[in-house]
Amino acid sequence: MKKRLWVICLHIISASLILGTPAPAQAQVQEIRIGDSKGDWGYPNPYRHYPRGPGYIRMSWVFDTLVWKDREGYVPALADAWSYDPAKMVFTFHLNAKAKWHDLQPLTADDVVFTIEYFKKHPYSWISVEDIGRAEAQGPHKVVIYLSKPYSPFISDIGGTMPVLPRHIWQSVTNPEAYDDPKAFIGSGPYRFLDFNKTQGTYLYEAFGEYYQGKPRADRLIYVRTGQPLVSLAGRQVDLANIQPDMAEPLKQKGLVVIKDERGWNKKLMINHKKAPYSDRRFRHALAFAVNQQEIIDKSHRGFAMPASYGLLSPDHDMYNPNTPSYAFSPEKARALLETMGYQKGADGYYGKGGKALKIELLSSNITVAGQSAADRDGEVIKKQLEQVGIKVDLVNLEQATTDSKVKTWNFDLAVSGHGGVSGDARILNEMILSKYGAGSVNSARYDEDAELAALLEEQMVEMDEGKRKKIVYKIQEVYAQVLPAISLYYPDSMSAYSAEKGIVWYYTKGGISKGIPIPQNKMSLIK
Amino acid sequence: MKGKGKNMGRGHYTLAYLLAALIMMYVSYSLPRWLPGDFVTAMYSSSHVTLNAEQEEGLRAFYTQRQGFGQYLVDFFTLQWGYSYAFLTPISKLIGEALPWSLLLLGTAHLLSMAFGFLAGVETAWRRGGVIEKAGVGSMTILEGIPEIGSGVILLLLFALHLGWLPAAGGETAYVTHSAGQRISDVARHLVLPFATLFLAYLPGNFLLTRGSMVMVLKEQFIETARAKGLPPLRIRYAHAARNALLPMVTRFGLRIAFMLTGALVVETIYAYPGLGTLLFNAIAMRDLPLIQGIVLFSSLLVLFVNLALDFLYGWIDPRVKYAS
Repeated sequence: MKKRLWVICLHIISASLILGTPAPAQAQVQEIRIGDSKGDWGYPNPYRHYPRGPGYIRMSWVFDTLVWKDREGYVPALADAWSYDPAKMVFTFHLNAKAKWHDLQPLTADDVVFTIEYFKKHPYSWISVEDIGRAEAQGPHKVVIYLSKPYSPFISDIGGTMPVLPRHIWQSVTNPEAYDDPKAFIGSGPYRFLDFNKTQGTYLYEAFGEYYQGKPRADRLIYVRTGQPLVSLAGRQVDLANIQPDMAEPLKQKGLVVIKDERGWNKKLMINHKKAPYSDRRFRHALAFAVNQQEIIDKSHRGFAMPASYGLLSPDHDMYNPNTPSYAFSPEKARALLETMGYQKGADGYYGKGGKALKIELLSSNITVAGQSAADRDGEVIKKQLEQVGIKVDLVNLEQATTDSKVKTWNFDLAVSGHGGVSGDARILNEMILSKYGAGSVNSARYDEDAELAALLEEQMVEMDEGKRKKIVYKIQEVYAQVLPAISLYYPDSMSAYSAEKGIVWYYTKGGISKGIPIPQNKMSLIK
Repeated sequence: MKGKGKNMGRGHYTLAYLLAALIMMYVSYSLPRWLPGDFVTAMYSSSHVTLNAEQEEGLRAFYTQRQGFGQYLVDFFTLQWGYSYAFLTPISKLIGEALPWSLLLLGTAHLLSMAFGFLAGVETAWRRGGVIEKAGVGSMTILEGIPEIGSGVILLLLFALHLGWLPAAGGETAYVTHSAGQRISDVARHLVLPFATLFLAYLPGNFLLTRGSMVMVLKEQFIETARAKGLPPLRIRYAHAARNALLPMVTRFGLRIAFMLTGALVVETIYAYPGLGTLLFNAIAMRDLPLIQGIVLFSSLLVLFVNLALDFLYGWIDPRVKYAS
């Protein structure tokens, strides 16, 4: 009898172990510290964060979007499911019924409708809601968004980027930029915002226990400013930080995990195509043939970069065209093109025309991934390359804001600049080519002269069929590389290192977080 | 009559300083406006936001507020120093938060390097020709040639990376609950490396200046007289000689004040120290005009104030200055 009882007990225990045991829970971490060289990226709400990637990331811990990206692609966030009806041009989102605001009020479809209306009245510079006709709540957890015209980057730009605001807080706010009440930081994201110390450049977040996807894995999330990420990581004063590629090996030896991003940021040679001789396509081609991308990488970056495609989109992009025209380094071709334009070499070995020497002013600065600055010698290498072809170059090194200002006002010949987003949504092509989309950008070529290119760019924005859009984007890259209003140079290696001791796995998101942010601080890393 | 003359002299002094203050205020008002670029360009360039023309115009209208010098003066004297574009915070609050850290780091480094440099300079000059003097002058000359960025990185790699004894960045450990004693200890640990870097940078100049002055003073007849009178060597060294060698040090201190608030930028950057230098650097990078103006003006006026105070101090240290004026 006793034996039978024992066997029954054993069976019950076994059965409960097999059937009833939840998946092994990952250990809760007390805190995660992320190092950042700048420290200050504004307050984490839509109207007060800085417009660069790190500013958006700091906000993304507090405010959730309808959808989000993990390492595989789009995943549910506030919306459990979504669909698009091309006939009616309507997106339908079904919200997660468990979603709550940080003040424990329920999040409903009304909040999403309100957010769209609010952004129409008080634009949030990260998104454009002008192609949304209206939004309608159909029940507490179903929201329908009517487009006024097809908008292909909708999921990337709106669904995956638009932070949803709590209606009960923002409905009475008329000046959102000046609104600094603690309530301005009530979101529905995995973390509550507790503090931003401007002097120290530190941020403190606390896990939101009622988060609809479960309490995040770290109780506290802290950002600290660090001048030397290598030392801070090695001393375990921070758990995650962006690093220079040279630091990778020493950090691996110290037991840290090093991760590398896809090619999502490109260094670019801006050309003032508004004036001669740069307005002549042949001259721009000559420049492209004269510049040796690999030599810049080897001499200026110790090999830590990859040559860029002349079609702007990264080879890691799903819509990258492998047959984009290219300009393999050829000083002979460059010289031949210059000579077809009537330039002749003088006694000093440099080209000139009509007795006037050809002399270019090249502006150089040290911008690199995510708005950071890193010392490089790009300008010197390009100057040497162009002078070897026979183009006299006056190299001017300036700090970033001055270079940007000169480029913005067309007060330059050539300028070394750079930007990200080239592995994100193909809308980046419109922003970096046409003045209609990129008038306010210092990295946009603002090139409207080619009617075919402009038409293709407009067409890709309204093509909702992914396959058809891909074909258009292929063509855009071909035409862009032919007219060449700017020359993409290389993709610098972008790396981060983290300590695996706390069991958190950080990764770079394909296509970047949101619209293409190349930072490995995806909140999904901390969500169970 | 004599007293009236003295007061008139001081009045002229003060008037000259007030005039200098007004000129500095005008410079700090107009200088940042000559920088190419503005806040909108600096903030939105290389961002993930691509502004269209309308958005850009709206932002520029919001951030580019034209203000005359007269209004600027009125605002200054009514303590309305404006708001930082980037931080969306009153300028006075930002300066007030960063200033204690700058004073802690740079004030300590200045005062201690001055005290040590002075004492070492006096002692080595007294032992002129000896091994200590030769070794002191040689080592300090070498140290004088090492830039702060070099010594800073070496100290960081040695004590933070390899030995792991000291923290690499910040003014204190962020968001840790400490008792008052623990907090002081934490702040002190964070202070050690940036302080040591600055101390090593400032010490040689103070030492060499004091030693040079002392060598000259020790040749003076009144020192010979003091020796002949049989005064104790310590008294000759400090009460007679060192007091006369102090004046150049005080002048150096006044000049160094200009660098004290904003000149330790390199060290603050290496150690991510939260002082006024870092604040100014970020403000310039972002073309945060009101903040640049606020910091530059505050620093300039502080320099003037300290130099005015030192002018009065000269008379106290060396009565000959008072009688000469």
